[in-house]
Amino acid sequence: MTQLEPIIHIVDDDNSYRTALARLMEASGYRVVTYGSGEELLANLSGSDPGCILLDLQMPGLSGLELQDRLTEKAPLLPIVFLTGRGDIKASVRAMKAGAEDFLEKPASREALLGAVERALLRSEIRRAEHDRVHTLQARLDALTPREFDVFGLIVRGKLNKQIAYELGTSERTVKAHRHNVMEKLGVHSLAEAVSIAERLGLLDLTAKPSDDAHGAVRRASP
Amino acid sequence: MARASTKPSSPFTRIVSAFRCLLLLLIVVMAEPLSAEIVDQVPRILILYPYDEKIPATTIAGETLRHRLQQATMGKVDLFSEFLDLSRFPEKVHIDRMARYLSEKYADRRPDVVIALGEEATGFIVKYRHAIAPDAKIVFCGFSSADAVKLSLPSDVVGAFSEYDIAKTLLMARGLQPEARDLVIIGGSSDFDRSWLATARSDLPGPASGLKTTYVEDLTIDEFADRASRVPEGSIILVLTVFTDRSGRNFIPRNALERIAAKASAPVYGPYSTYIGHGAVGGNTVTFESVGTAVAELALDAIAGKPIASVNVPKTFVADARELTRWGLPESGLPAGTVLSFKEKSLWEEYWAAIIGIVAALALQGAIITVLLVERQRRLAAEQEARLRLLELVHLNQSATAGALSASIAHELNQPLGAIRSNVDALEILLRKEQPDLDLIRQILIDIREDDQRASDIIVRLRGLLKKRSEIDWQEFDLNEVVNSAIHILHAEAGQKSIVVSSSDPTRALPVRADKVHLQQVILNLATNAMDAMVDAATTERKLVFFRTALIENSEVELSISDTGRGIPSDQLDHVFHAFYTTKPTGTGLGLSIARAIIETYGGKIWADNRAEGGAVFRFVLPLAQHG
Repeated sequence: MTQLEPIIHIVDDDNSYRTALARLMEASGYRVVTYGSGEELLANLSGSDPGCILLDLQMPGLSGLELQDRLTEKAPLLPIVFLTGRGDIKASVRAMKAGAEDFLEKPASREALLGAVERALLRSEIRRAEHDRVHTLQARLDALTPREFDVFGLIVRGKLNKQIAYELGTSERTVKAHRHNVMEKLGVHSLAEAVSIAERLGLLDLTAKPSDDAHGAVRRASP
Repeated sequence: MARASTKPSSPFTRIVSAFRCLLLLLIVVMAEPLSAEIVDQVPRILILYPYDEKIPATTIAGETLRHRLQQATMGKVDLFSEFLDLSRFPEKVHIDRMARYLSEKYADRRPDVVIALGEEATGFIVKYRHAIAPDAKIVFCGFSSADAVKLSLPSDVVGAFSEYDIAKTLLMARGLQPEARDLVIIGGSSDFDRSWLATARSDLPGPASGLKTTYVEDLTIDEFADRASRVPEGSIILVLTVFTDRSGRNFIPRNALERIAAKASAPVYGPYSTYIGHGAVGGNTVTFESVGTAVAELALDAIAGKPIASVNVPKTFVADARELTRWGLPESGLPAGTVLSFKEKSLWEEYWAAIIGIVAALALQGAIITVLLVERQRRLAAEQEARLRLLELVHLNQSATAGALSASIAHELNQPLGAIRSNVDALEILLRKEQPDLDLIRQILIDIREDDQRASDIIVRLRGLLKKRSEIDWQEFDLNEVVNSAIHILHAEAGQKSIVVSSSDPTRALPVRADKVHLQQVILNLATNAMDAMVDAATTERKLVFFRTALIENSEVELSISDTGRGIPSDQLDHVFHAFYTTKPTGTGLGLSIARAIIETYGGKIWADNRAEGGAVFRFVLPLAQHG
């Protein structure tokens, strides 16, 4: 897997501003793709490359905030840096809450722009790494049989083999075998490591009792 | 009791009835002599005119006489007039017939007094008095005491004599011409003329008076005139009468005098009032008015039962102002009490009533005009004040609009500024490279210039929005320009609200005369209202503000601004332009009323409607500026 140059996605309806920003980013050594509207971005964005999005908050048609909602689904790994012509506190709070990486006021200085972009790319890197790790763990988790998944769910909640056997209506010995397989497949050597995986995949946030829903949701989230 | 009262007659009743009858009889008996006495109290006066009613002398005297009698008796007099017409019918037959006629005519109403005007009428009544007015007192007038002797009048017939005093006429002339050394006296050839000459010779003072006196007589009329034209300068010419000249031609003395005076080289005087107006300066005379008055007094005394005796009619000095002017004689030289005829009254004397009236009317008009001017001034001031207030209000509203749009305007301005900044930053980096891309750098510079222009344009557009006006800045401009400018200003605001603003393509220039800023104000107002109306609309719905211009009969232009909001409740379409009408929580409710005031100031109309497909549409119509 080759490490790609990050791409800066610039979304602004103002052609002149978009071009100027693109020039600055290119001069600073980034790959740049520009879009005249949120719709154009959604239509053409390929989520595989690392990078970030510079997004104008005020555009006719799909607004910046609406676009942000869509992007959390479509390109969750691309941090968004908002650009705005006005210090709109309400909008910025909303954007930040929704996960915006940064919020810059036009006309932004080069330092502010490049700083924000670098931070966003760093975050992008982190997100990708995190995503990759989660992805790997998810793949391992997917290797578990349903019975093993159930056992895993109970192990990470600190249940003893006896309790698990009771809950699943099986023998303690069978649970032991499943437990062994789970540790094997997940590549962990201790209960602590297993709990860590469960937490990272978000299994512990859900209800204390593992359910099919939680299992399904996690499964669906993997590609 | 009831029966008692119906008894035919009680003794008391009978006495009362008898008394009543007596009283009635007494009244009837007394009434008869009483009414007869009343009739007797109104005296009858018969006025005898010798000729017909067209002779001025008798007519003037008669009218004066009648007037005086009416006035003195307060109308309680019966006046009768008879025109004897003796000049046209001098025959005895006529005179007898007239006497008979009058005798019979006045048989039942015998006159108490008969007034005879002139010698002939006097002679007539004296002769026939027993037939016509046997008990009447007879008074006369119009001739001299010398003539009276010839008539041999009875002693009970008295009158007012007209005596002429030629010396007094000369007195007047000398008063006017104190320097005069020569006196020329002219008289005709008839008996009457000669008697006048004789009178003059006896009455006028001789050369002792210091005047060289010449009597001019026995000449033809032309010779008289010729002599008059050659008298020494500063002479006094006295014309007595010329009834007949040497050649035997008869004249009315007045006309003879007129011919003489026309050629005279010195002022002409004469003893008759009839000479006035025909060339005589003046004289001492008996006027027909004074004759009438004098005989009226005699008649009044006669009916009052007072004893009367003959009197002389007072003489009067008469003068002609035009002749005074002609000869340059001073008015101050006239004897006191002179009746000055033909005096050209000063404008004031002649028209004082009219002048007062006109002056009063002018003063009144002036006052009214002043009041109206003051009112007009005040109205103009009030209108000016109202216009200023409107302009202030417009400016306030402008400022409010600018305030509302300021955020999006800042954004609008930040686009070119941000672009410039990023371009400059990019340039800086590019120039640090060993082999800078000059084409790119050139392009960047071009873009910077364009963005700078863009920023500057925005500021120019906004300047109008903030400019305060103390008066309307009339200018002619293309309405399309203002629409485009407004769309530019609204662009950012619309972008933020995800509203698409569009306009119909202008097909031609739409020249209007107005204040550009005011119209921009109206358009921005309508458009921001339209955008606010769509705040509640879902994002997915297509939000649209559409500007459309259309011509109406090539003389007016209509601009419509429509939205896709909820529209206006139909019962409120008329109210939206009222002041303080608002649906917005923070609105002043003045925007549309100001918009209407502005449009109406420029001779247009504005109204609101709902579109069939939903949303409201605001339209205004303005007259197109006419060229040529």
